[in-house]
Amino acid sequence: MATTTLTPQADAYRRSWVLDWLTTVDHKKIGILYIVNSFLFFFAAGILALVIRSELAVPGLQFLDVQTYNQTFTMHGTIMIFLFVVPVLSGFANYVVPLQLGAPDMAFPRINALSFWLLPLGGGLIFTGYLFGGAAAEGWTGYVPLSSGQYAQGVGTDLWLIGLALVGTASILGAVNFITTIFKMRAPGMTLFRMPIFAWTVLVTATLILLATPVLTAGLIALFIDRNYGGHFFDPNAGGNPILWQHIFWFFGHPEVYIVILPAMGVVSEILPVFSRKPLFGYRAFVYATVGIGLLSFSVWAHHMFTTGKVLLPFFAFMTTLIAIPTGVKMFNWMATLWRGSISLTTPMLFAIGFIAMFLIGGISGVMLAQPPVDFHLQDTYFVVAHLHYVFFGGSVFGVFAAAYFWFPKMTGRRLNERLGKVHFWLHFIGFNLAFFPMHPLGISGMPRRIADYAPEPIWVFWNLVSTIGAFMIAVSVLPFLVNVVATLINGERVGDDPWEGNTLEWATTSPPPPYNFDRLPPVRSERPMFDLRHKHDAEQLSDQQLAVGPPADEAGNVAGEPGDGGSSS
Amino acid sequence: MLRAGLPLLLIGLLAGCGMIPPEPKTDAAKSVFTLYNVVFAMGVAVFLGVEGFIVYSVFRYRRRDDRLPPQTHGNTLVEIIWTAIPTVIVLILFILSISTLATVEAKSDPSQEGVSIEVDGFQWQWQFRYQDGDQNPDNDVSVIGDQANPPVMVVPVGEPIRLTLVSRDVIHSFFVPQFLIKRDLIPEPEGQDVNHLEFVVSEPGTYGGQCAEFCGDFHAKMTFSVQGVSRADYETWLADAKAGRTPQPSAQPGGQQLELTAANIAFDKTELRAKANQPITLKFTNTEAVPHNVVIIDASNKQLFKTDDLTGPNASGEFNVPALPAGEYTFFCSFHPTQMVGKLIIE
Repeated sequence: MATTTLTPQADAYRRSWVLDWLTTVDHKKIGILYIVNSFLFFFAAGILALVIRSELAVPGLQFLDVQTYNQTFTMHGTIMIFLFVVPVLSGFANYVVPLQLGAPDMAFPRINALSFWLLPLGGGLIFTGYLFGGAAAEGWTGYVPLSSGQYAQGVGTDLWLIGLALVGTASILGAVNFITTIFKMRAPGMTLFRMPIFAWTVLVTATLILLATPVLTAGLIALFIDRNYGGHFFDPNAGGNPILWQHIFWFFGHPEVYIVILPAMGVVSEILPVFSRKPLFGYRAFVYATVGIGLLSFSVWAHHMFTTGKVLLPFFAFMTTLIAIPTGVKMFNWMATLWRGSISLTTPMLFAIGFIAMFLIGGISGVMLAQPPVDFHLQDTYFVVAHLHYVFFGGSVFGVFAAAYFWFPKMTGRRLNERLGKVHFWLHFIGFNLAFFPMHPLGISGMPRRIADYAPEPIWVFWNLVSTIGAFMIAVSVLPFLVNVVATLINGERVGDDPWEGNTLEWATTSPPPPYNFDRLPPVRSERPMFDLRHKHDAEQLSDQQLAVGPPADEAGNVAGEPGDGGSSS
Repeated sequence: MLRAGLPLLLIGLLAGCGMIPPEPKTDAAKSVFTLYNVVFAMGVAVFLGVEGFIVYSVFRYRRRDDRLPPQTHGNTLVEIIWTAIPTVIVLILFILSISTLATVEAKSDPSQEGVSIEVDGFQWQWQFRYQDGDQNPDNDVSVIGDQANPPVMVVPVGEPIRLTLVSRDVIHSFFVPQFLIKRDLIPEPEGQDVNHLEFVVSEPGTYGGQCAEFCGDFHAKMTFSVQGVSRADYETWLADAKAGRTPQPSAQPGGQQLELTAANIAFDKTELRAKANQPITLKFTNTEAVPHNVVIIDASNKQLFKTDDLTGPNASGEFNVPALPAGEYTFFCSFHPTQMVGKLIIE
């Protein structure tokens, strides 16, 4: 089943390698473009993080002026969130979800290409602020009036607004594509409750994007009008309301947090069963919990605004605290999946377990912050910075690396070196905790975030230095990863189609898959079709008839992005 | 053993110190402190339980052979139990925090004893106006800070301090770590309520604070302190301040004053001089019914300072220009940048 022998018919005419990648509408190539592009932004924003941590290593201003410092943390946050974590997970979803569904491509391959190409454009615009008098410097949240025309006069902020609107449009287009693909293009037999959990999390994520991102885009446009065309949406001197921006921003911003974490949870929920050799415990409960988090995410935005004195504290505190319940269910399901399993600590498994361990800390600090009286003390201090990094970095980024190690063999046919992978993991894990755990005591003792300089209190001096050391350790940890990727691409171990004994359909085709993905599909009788296939003699009589699918061009009218073979009419 | 253990113990101790908020110095802060410790203890229990379980499972259930472990797909009863347990925990937590919230937000009767202060945040310092109740702001005692001399809010201990939080420009946040509270200062459209904050300082002492909401270039320099004194000492301080005798802390910001007047779409001066590295007070007057302001930029056109927009015919304001390093700067009116422009020489 795993050896596809059909000859690809892509040789109708030849294009250069570069042109091929620039014009591709193949979801797999677009997925790789997403991932590579996101990692480039990750390295850029990571260097900005090192600049911030270097300045904060000791009290006093050493080598940045305040304006540069403010631009640096603004760009760090904006790039990391909008141009790394969100798109890199979209990249993995782009590559993996159609394969997991047994589909030949995404529903709208050309829109898929468009939503990718808007990203480097938007990200590039945000960065060009540096060439025109300075980048945006109001924080990634861009609060008004600070970001209004009166207080932020440079064009950096305008470029930031336009760039973000483009990036947001990209994710809206992507969301439409994912939802259509997931609803319309699943393999025969794959009911929604037999769908891989990663595809489920991507479905919920895409729905959140579709509902939340247009709100942000509207806010960005309103602010752009305020700044450039005499609008007064947010101008208190003309009857506008600065708090309105915070409502708009966080109505998007909190679902955004789940947009970033849910796919990573999906990745972890794919990896834990494979390396525990057990099914995910409580598949349905996990799905309900994912949907529950998605629904709740629209009723908690104002917990970012407890200290504004403008929101109904008990309501938002209650809704926020409720999120702990579905999250707790997920945590228990993961623990029960490990329990009495047969656990192999491969690199993707290490990152997946690292995700659970670190995300737990972010979850606990989140529940603490959800209590208004506690939040009155901790809001806008380094505790919040610690919390968001444990969620975004300890959660999502660990999930990203888990996905990279797990699906690299699928994308290339070669497995990343395990020894280098483990060096990467441990440096990364220790560096991460050194960098971000100290931010808890910093915040609890009252150090505000977003300050270029701090008072030389002994406890602040000590923990800031520790944090800076950790940040550089994270930077060092990326080197074995890069070396690993390059060395494996050149001369890595070839491991066949299914090196991990995977459960889901992406492992039913060759590694890397042909442009049209599958020439036959195994029957789908559970959420683990590949497991069923491997163990069909152990289990009760499953149908051992393989379900053949027709030639790729007949399936759903779409051919995987090879122009010239006459199939793509979408 | 001891040599390895001691630094570890030290780090553990420091971590312990850092993970608990500063000793609370207001009545409300004490209840927040208690709530924090309860929530924190619950968090630590969950942390130890879950992490312990993960580490145990990873070691106990390592793959030893090719036999397939039991394929457990789930268990409805277990799912119900572990949905119910966190539900109960978060409900308890919610009730605890809402009752603490009532303590923190409690307001005393404004006709009773206490001190009312308007806290005015601006880029990038604070002004505290003591409101004496006669509705005439001109004779109120006012303390204004600059970056070199942050202001001190002197208050009597043991009685309610009522703050009215206003902002002239962007959002700021009044934060005193030892009071375990912060509240934002928001520039409100006319007719909207501004924020209020009330607390009772429980013992004499000086408590540092600073702006917690990012507000631009010198956000980090927006520090201040609250000094709790006895009622008698407070009365003395207030009388002295009212009579113009110091110790009104840093009532006169900066040493140097510059004056600039706008008339007929022009400034009265095209060159200003001041000393380097000292804050400057700029008295700016607009004599006509056209909006003007003063913006200072450096040689690379980076904006360093801006006054409010004033519209005459007789508008005037004093503005605190941050200390500048020696060099040549340009000042101009952003409404009339070509007609109204001049040189600021810092020497």
